[in-house]
Amino acid sequence: MSIVAKVIAQSDRAERFLSGAELTQLQDFFNGGTTRISAAQKLAANQQKIVDEGSKRFWAQCPNTPSNSGDPQKTSLCQRDQGWYIRLVSYCVLAGNSKPLEDIGLDGMRDMYVSLRVPLPNLKLAMRCLKEVAMGLLSSEEAALAGPYFDQLVRAF
Amino acid sequence: MQDTITSVINPADEKGTYLEGGELDKLKQYFQTGTLRVKAAEQIGSSAASIISDTVAKSLLYGDITLPGGNMYPTRRYAACLRDLTYFLRYATYAMLAADASILDERVLNGLKDTYSSLGVPVERTVQAVQAMKEVVTQRVGAEAGQEMDVYLDHIVNGLS
Repeated sequence: MSIVAKVIAQSDRAERFLSGAELTQLQDFFNGGTTRISAAQKLAANQQKIVDEGSKRFWAQCPNTPSNSGDPQKTSLCQRDQGWYIRLVSYCVLAGNSKPLEDIGLDGMRDMYVSLRVPLPNLKLAMRCLKEVAMGLLSSEEAALAGPYFDQLVRAF
Repeated sequence: MQDTITSVINPADEKGTYLEGGELDKLKQYFQTGTLRVKAAEQIGSSAASIISDTVAKSLLYGDITLPGGNMYPTRRYAACLRDLTYFLRYATYAMLAADASILDERVLNGLKDTYSSLGVPVERTVQAVQAMKEVVTQRVGAEAGQEMDVYLDHIVNGLS
């Protein structure tokens, strides 16, 4: 769901046209459109780099973790998941809303990783490292849009 | 409900891909028309009652429909007609903001034809009223935004016919 769908649903529940505040919210969202698109493009183009560099930083702080256990399959699956989270953040930046991250990647996430025996605290650190690398690649305007979704991701772990 | 943004994100996620090329172009265009959409929604929302009055005056008034035996008689049915026209305007405005007609299908058109036929609401007159609403809305919001509203008001017409 996007911010547009969210304010429409809100207005619909109250059976009214959009309020002044809601219209301002949408106007702000549209004003940032170009920045949203360039941020999403940079995340897409640099996914591999963010994951590779993020993993290095992560393993430096947390060497004893499944992705660094010497099992190439574990490493590639963990890094694949990390790439997916970067993709979900890019969806959120374009939607102006955290629902894509929540619905696709956070709902049920804990149960899944517990069952996979991947330690959540390690993942939290890994996600923080992804954020650091990604923020370094984005302009300050782009980082201001994407940062909160990375923060939400870190918090969720 | 779906909006133009989710309509490109959902299929991309099914494939596990980022939005690229044509999908990003679609969003770029949508973002660029954002100001036009917000301004139109503001104008429509702040003058909805007057848009409805003008619409009714243009299409329904002073005909058989408001006389005894007509479908806008007695006052209770007149008010119901105003209420429905206001729904059409409000949901068409939502759809215009979202640049996606799905909310009209879900919240207005689904089952409407059957409801109207069981209540004896004349579809032809309803369509006339929506056509008049298009003209009134365009007068208020200007040609460019009016064209955009026409897409969704026409969607209602098609759903009724």
